[in-house]
Amino acid sequence: MSAFRLASGGLVDRSHTLRFTFDGASLTGHAGDTLASALLANDRLLLGRSFKYHRPRGIMTAGPSEPNGLVTVGSGARRDPNTKATVAELYDGLEARSQNRWPSLAYDIGAVNNLMSRFLSAGFYYKTFMWPAAFWEKVYEPLIRRAAGLGRTDLPRDPDAYEKSWAHCDLLVVGAGPAGLAAALVAARSGLRVILAEQDFVLGGALLSETAPVGGEPPYVFARRVVEELQNSPNVTLMPRTTVFGWYDDNVFGALERVQKDVAALDAAKPVERLWRIVAKHAILATGAEERPLVFGGNDRPGIMTASAVSTYANRFGVAAGKSVAIFTNGSSGYRTAQDLAARGVEIAVLIDSRAASGDVAPDGVRLVRGGSIVDTKGRQRVRAVVADRGGFEELIGCDAVAMSGGWSPVIHLACQRGGKPVWSEALQAFMAPEAGPALVTAGAAAGHYRLSECFDDGARKASAIVEAIGRQAVGIERPVIGEETDPSFTALWHVPGAKSKAFVDFQNDVHTGDLGLAVREGFGHVEHAKRYTTGGMATDQGKLGNINAIGILAGMRGVSPAEVGTTTFRPFYTPVSFGALAGTSVDGHAMPIRRSPLHGWAARNGAVFIDAGLWYRSSWFPKAGEKTWRESVDREVRTVRENAGLCDVSTLGKIEVFGPDAAEFLSRLYCNPVLKLPVGKARYGLMLREDGMVYDDGTVSRLGEDHFFVTTTTALAGGVLSHMEFAAQVLWPDLRVRFLSVSDQWAQMSIAGPKARAILQAVVEDDISNAAFPFLAARAVRLKGNLKARLFRISFSGELAYELAVPAGYGEAVADALMRAGAPHGICAYGVETLNVLRLEKGHVTHAELDGRVTPDDAGLGRMMGTSKPDFIGKRLSARFGLTAADRAQLVGLKVLEPEKDIRAGAHLLKDGAKPSTLNDQGWVSSACFSPTLGGHIALAFLKSGRERYGEKIVVWDQLRGVETFAEVCDPVFVDRENTKLMA
Amino acid sequence: MAYDYQAVHALDGMIGAIAERRANHLSVHRTMAIAMVLAGPGQTAEAAGILVSNGEFEARFSGPGEWLVLSQVHAPETLAAELSVRLGGFAFVVDQSHGRVVLTLSGPDAARILANGIAVDLHADAFPVGRAANVLCNHLSLNLVRTGDQSFDLVVMRSFAGALVDDLKVMARSHDLSVDFATR
Repeated sequence: MSAFRLASGGLVDRSHTLRFTFDGASLTGHAGDTLASALLANDRLLLGRSFKYHRPRGIMTAGPSEPNGLVTVGSGARRDPNTKATVAELYDGLEARSQNRWPSLAYDIGAVNNLMSRFLSAGFYYKTFMWPAAFWEKVYEPLIRRAAGLGRTDLPRDPDAYEKSWAHCDLLVVGAGPAGLAAALVAARSGLRVILAEQDFVLGGALLSETAPVGGEPPYVFARRVVEELQNSPNVTLMPRTTVFGWYDDNVFGALERVQKDVAALDAAKPVERLWRIVAKHAILATGAEERPLVFGGNDRPGIMTASAVSTYANRFGVAAGKSVAIFTNGSSGYRTAQDLAARGVEIAVLIDSRAASGDVAPDGVRLVRGGSIVDTKGRQRVRAVVADRGGFEELIGCDAVAMSGGWSPVIHLACQRGGKPVWSEALQAFMAPEAGPALVTAGAAAGHYRLSECFDDGARKASAIVEAIGRQAVGIERPVIGEETDPSFTALWHVPGAKSKAFVDFQNDVHTGDLGLAVREGFGHVEHAKRYTTGGMATDQGKLGNINAIGILAGMRGVSPAEVGTTTFRPFYTPVSFGALAGTSVDGHAMPIRRSPLHGWAARNGAVFIDAGLWYRSSWFPKAGEKTWRESVDREVRTVRENAGLCDVSTLGKIEVFGPDAAEFLSRLYCNPVLKLPVGKARYGLMLREDGMVYDDGTVSRLGEDHFFVTTTTALAGGVLSHMEFAAQVLWPDLRVRFLSVSDQWAQMSIAGPKARAILQAVVEDDISNAAFPFLAARAVRLKGNLKARLFRISFSGELAYELAVPAGYGEAVADALMRAGAPHGICAYGVETLNVLRLEKGHVTHAELDGRVTPDDAGLGRMMGTSKPDFIGKRLSARFGLTAADRAQLVGLKVLEPEKDIRAGAHLLKDGAKPSTLNDQGWVSSACFSPTLGGHIALAFLKSGRERYGEKIVVWDQLRGVETFAEVCDPVFVDRENTKLMA
Repeated sequence: MAYDYQAVHALDGMIGAIAERRANHLSVHRTMAIAMVLAGPGQTAEAAGILVSNGEFEARFSGPGEWLVLSQVHAPETLAAELSVRLGGFAFVVDQSHGRVVLTLSGPDAARILANGIAVDLHADAFPVGRAANVLCNHLSLNLVRTGDQSFDLVVMRSFAGALVDDLKVMARSHDLSVDFATR
């Protein structure tokens, strides 16, 4: 036994016992414990095996920068790997397991890596697994992945709920230690909207593990008093258990709140974690400072911790790290830990100070060694002794814990996430936050003010400045009287010379001094190179503990200052964030919103099979009893439309109203075809190009009044075309007097197509829609029987006599029902997008399957539409460029399959008859294909080199995916009614 | 054949009856006269002068020179025409009564629920009663207006209304929320 719970002391509730398990063993702790403090209290020092060498590792810190104390919490789909025991709040029923060990924690076969370590040096992977190349994916990577790594994740679906929320404040204070509390208090009393975020589950920071009285009372009592006042301030939001992990543009901060990580039984109404985006006018980082480990031989054995962690476990949790603790320090912090332990009756084996002299005084009776060091440690799964060295004399000193202090580094991570590089301070021997502007300042220990009184003053001062910057009167606070303070001065000691065994720099990725030396020798001495070469700082802790020592060591090896070495790049996240929290509620049905047509209910009642079309749910086909395949339904629907009539929901098309005296001119520049002279009451097909001359979108343009147009877009580009128009109106031609607005959702629109369409429609429409009164391409408002205003367009996608009828969306279903009733005697059917596709394909009409961004109007057979006499339109200039006018461009053609039993599919390529199947012989591609019930065979639209000159040619359709070659005949793309007699009927 | 068209609401069949209203309530308006007003080029001030909200209608900001006008006095069929007359040549008016769905979220947690999807600061000082904004709520665009200390109107495109209500239910998971059609 070594670590144990002290008889008294600490902020844990000793009357409240919590049960938990570690690797199956039942253990107990107290409310207020972290998993780490409870494990220590149970003398569980060995928590896991290291990443590469599988060395035994234990707890090293008492906070979020912990590199070693990583465990898996929970089981099944709720398994949470790589949980930091030093942060995890203990709860009743917590199940924790160790990681990266096999078959067991105590007897781990992977530990053989430690013996082979001379073969596993830095750069080992790069050098060893280079060849043969094919081995990487199949052999090396799986092997390495199995051997290395920490926690494992599971594939089952995460059953937990997550949430993402926005918060806004005048001042965000990150960290609720002395500086943060003082800042929050000043801001709160001055009336600012304040958010105080703290990663710990108790607010107070260093005050929770500090012993010097504050205002005559224990510091944690003082902290509690301040927190209480903040809690009662309506303008303050306290966020405990919330880690601010990122600083983004516009002073937006990302923070992760652990809402239910401290309970075994989850409340289903609450998320497990909540991801906050905090929009702060100002922010104060009161994130404190991190104690550095010392880099000496064998510095990774379980039982070796930072001195501040030893103090925190004693003072806050009432846990002694050992019965006999050796302390190794390069500054006064080691002395303070000695005092803390002595005050609690814990034996101090030795206090070794690397400095030859200092003003620090060791507690009475403690053996002090000045100018000494530790060069090795002994023990297997926990430290048993240290090998102390002074002036070349080595001495074995027995102990069961080591407290090490290598000085302090301000925690400045967030302040460096937007590009600012940390600045080296020679005075503080540390990197400080860069000047980040008035919106973000550091305070307290994070700003290099380590003494408690300085923390209070700095926090209060910086908050006051922000209050005044906002234009309010700052209400000051009186700093409490603080008892004896420690000034944690130190003399930097980047590594301890004379190490007898591996001296670790990055504990989580097993990077030791030798690796850094190798990096420098092999030319990877630049800090960013050394990082990649050694993997130092690349583990889940992102080098929070080790990077500073790595920089100091590199500086020493290169013979320069740490300022010259500099740091690696700081990026979000400060600590790992679960994918669940990042996704929030945007999972399953909420991953993308479903868009429902106003005719959805009508389609569902008519038995539609729906299909996802972007966000829309569109009716795909309408099976009738006895139809076994979709083809049977679609073939019937096509024949019905061609012989009688059909009704199809086309509400999903984009619809835009365009107004203004310059509306015609605006549209004329937007479309490549002429629009200016379109008469009122008429519709026209419209083709839009991109600036590069390729087709962007197509639709119809209807003129409802002299200065009033109504245009439609394809379903897919409804949003895109509107943005395109906004850009054109605001940026390209701000001088044009035009306004426009999407009315896509206002109208339910249905297509009524087929030779009997007019007869059916006339039964519902009040106005005369005879061929004379309402000819092809007529477009105007009509009144339906029953006095409903509607818009009617005589346009056709199917090639049949066809109309599109638009009614206010809410009436869509009722009007569709009325049309189906009126059409019943004529044999009308409902048809979906599959049939729509067959009909348009038979008629040779293009969709985005053809207009895929590589196609010019001429390629699509629409070259005659180009209004070349127009002074300008988008795409005009670049349409004339070489290459877009070449004679051998792929042109739209039709294909008729010559082998009756075979079909062809979109995506297949075209070859000359007799050519070897190869992309070298490519003649074009199939853009869409279907079975044509009208022609009784498979047909397709395709793009073929100089296609329009090749009607009648027999070519090969080569489907490499299916390994099929099919003969087809090239033909005109319009398969039915080339003379448009049906259209005009 | 009789032609008596019954309007269908976008959320018909998606919202069940409720026994009682909870602390927070989402009320779906069955009919509302809605029109978008686009000020003519250079005529924003003139149009704004005519559109001062009164008991008849309420004009909400929806973009530079654009307003979303709601009325419970005028019928959906007549609001746009009425506004056209009043605005004369200063603006273009488009009926959106069927293109938008109006929802009222009210209750002590209303702003907190919305903060689970909307990035705008909804503190009463920053977003007072009467303030309107086009916002993104998770994936959806909508027009948001504060109608009271604890109530907001959400005006959303008809086709997305179902998705929005589904989203609001999830956003309100930790808060007591009921949903039904408004009685008037």
